[in-house]
Amino acid sequence: MSTRDNPFEGLNGALNAADNQLRDTFGWYTVAKKEFRDASRSKGLWLLTVVFVSVFILPVVLALYFSINLVSRGGADIGMQLLISTYYLNVVTILLPIIAIFIGYAAISKERTSGSLKLLLSLPNSRRDVVLGKVFGRCAVIAVPLAVALGLGALFFAASNIALKPGIYAQFSLFTLALTVVFVAIAVSISGAVSTNTRSAIVNFITYFYFAFGWNGIVNGIGSFLSDYLGIQGSARWHIVLFAKLLNPTQAYKTLTNSMLGQGSLSARFGMFSQGGLLSSGLSNEALTTVCGSVLGGSPATQETQFGTTRVICEGSTPAPYFSDVAVFLYMFVWVGIAAVISYKTFNLADL
Amino acid sequence: MAAIELDGVTKRFGTVTALAEVDLTVEEGEIFGFLGPNGAGKSTCINILLDFVRPTEGGAEVLGRDVREQSTAIRERTGVLPEGYDVYDRLTGYQHLEFAIETKDADSDPSELLERVGLSEDEGKRKAGGYSKGMAQRLVLAMALVGEPELLILDEPTSGLDPNGARLMRDIVREENERGATVFFSSHILSQVEAVCDTVGILQDGELIAKDTVDGLREAATGDTKLLVTLDADGQSVDDAVDVVTALDNVSGVRPDDGRLTIDCQGDAKMDVLNAIEDAGFAVEDFEAQESSLEDLFATYTETEPAEVTPEQ
Repeated sequence: MSTRDNPFEGLNGALNAADNQLRDTFGWYTVAKKEFRDASRSKGLWLLTVVFVSVFILPVVLALYFSINLVSRGGADIGMQLLISTYYLNVVTILLPIIAIFIGYAAISKERTSGSLKLLLSLPNSRRDVVLGKVFGRCAVIAVPLAVALGLGALFFAASNIALKPGIYAQFSLFTLALTVVFVAIAVSISGAVSTNTRSAIVNFITYFYFAFGWNGIVNGIGSFLSDYLGIQGSARWHIVLFAKLLNPTQAYKTLTNSMLGQGSLSARFGMFSQGGLLSSGLSNEALTTVCGSVLGGSPATQETQFGTTRVICEGSTPAPYFSDVAVFLYMFVWVGIAAVISYKTFNLADL
Repeated sequence: MAAIELDGVTKRFGTVTALAEVDLTVEEGEIFGFLGPNGAGKSTCINILLDFVRPTEGGAEVLGRDVREQSTAIRERTGVLPEGYDVYDRLTGYQHLEFAIETKDADSDPSELLERVGLSEDEGKRKAGGYSKGMAQRLVLAMALVGEPELLILDEPTSGLDPNGARLMRDIVREENERGATVFFSSHILSQVEAVCDTVGILQDGELIAKDTVDGLREAATGDTKLLVTLDADGQSVDDAVDVVTALDNVSGVRPDDGRLTIDCQGDAKMDVLNAIEDAGFAVEDFEAQESSLEDLFATYTETEPAEVTPEQ
């Protein structure tokens, strides 16, 4: 097989062996590889790399070459954390899902409309191979330039006057890659479940809107419904509400990142109840006390604010295992599974 | 074992019936021509064989396997040239073939395959997005040949091909058949089917209206030779000649047309017909005997205009 013109494989025998092994093991692998090969020849992918790299190194470059003091003097030590919590966190949660949707929304529907899907399914690929191969292939398409950008970001941090904390930066990179991959997987799955690009775009943006802005409203509505109509109150209600909040990959990503930046996992989970959302409402101190004490297992305390009102703060180190950072990281992928299954079931029923 | 077996296959799209209770058997080792005008349901039928669409009623087996349950296993042993496909614009011809070879876990040589379908090495290295319709058709044919499949399913394989390409396609079909492959070949162009197929099935409005060997169909259609006789009527009524000829045994039809008679008769009755006309006092200026072509048969069976013989560019 000719590999001479492909820089991504065949560098040595070990790679070839791995390639063969993957092909034998996973039915979707060949589709995923084709997908990546195809995309790596598109100018869009290189443009994407440039965008990612600019976004991730720009603030560091400003700090490095223009000596712009991002924090106060002497803030170099925590500068990276501040950059992550103010700049990167917003860029990642707003921008990356949109880019992910652009990468994924036409993955299957475009092939269906153009007819290249017939080529794919004339070969011994099952429809499941097609959905999975597309999901994995497109994830690689966005993950590779993103990883390059994150790697370059680390190099620039190391070269700048802002201290690079390798452990924190590595975790941040991992969470960021995970969130992006989750959104691509969802976008590709939607693409497989509908018949045209336009429909896929519409469903994708509705999904994005709910994840980005509407989620807390829905979750709070569920909470009220449980309490008002089913009589599920107190600890049980807030357990369910927190689970539901964590099922939003964007919120899971934020609370993970906040935890990693030094808040600690318990405080980061508690913070999810005071975070704003388009439709979220503030919780009563009583509810917050329940969340802190019964749901997270922390010690709630009441504190007077400068406006004379009181607010609940929550102390303690680690919540129950199912609300721990590792668990939250896994919850991010719940939607990947749900979306892929729905996509496969729908796609499998369709006449092409 | 039959290579393809359709059992009472009905497919409805909404209220439109694309296929109505089609029963069809294609034996192993045959070249089967699947003939019918555009829109007759040929592609729907092929799409059912490939599990692209699912039958409303009935079932089908390919190579002894159920098309719904074991589609992947079927496609491992089948080479397909689908209809209405598109190539991957950014991948080269070689990469298309490598993809097919890897998916089929075959050890075919991409260069050899390209050569067989008449694409040069340079063309193989170009991105398929720049290919003409004919080149894309050749490339997808090459993909279908990967791994020496037991069955080739070719949906309108000559569309987009120039006459040389169409000839190459026929040669490849014959070579593959000699190697042992069964070939299922759909077309609305009669000459393509007539030239290579052992057996022909004719589909019209979703129904299989005939299935036989090319010779068998030829016989079944009329069993006749068509005789075109130009008369020098010299004042006599052509109708008299019609009467004379109609009275003969072995003549099944006579149609006068402006001093010319078109006579359907059995092959060995030609001289009798000409003698009878001359005996009746007519002078035969010219005559021409035509063995009935499949095109006529096709017209006989389908009562539609013979499919436009596509101007192949």
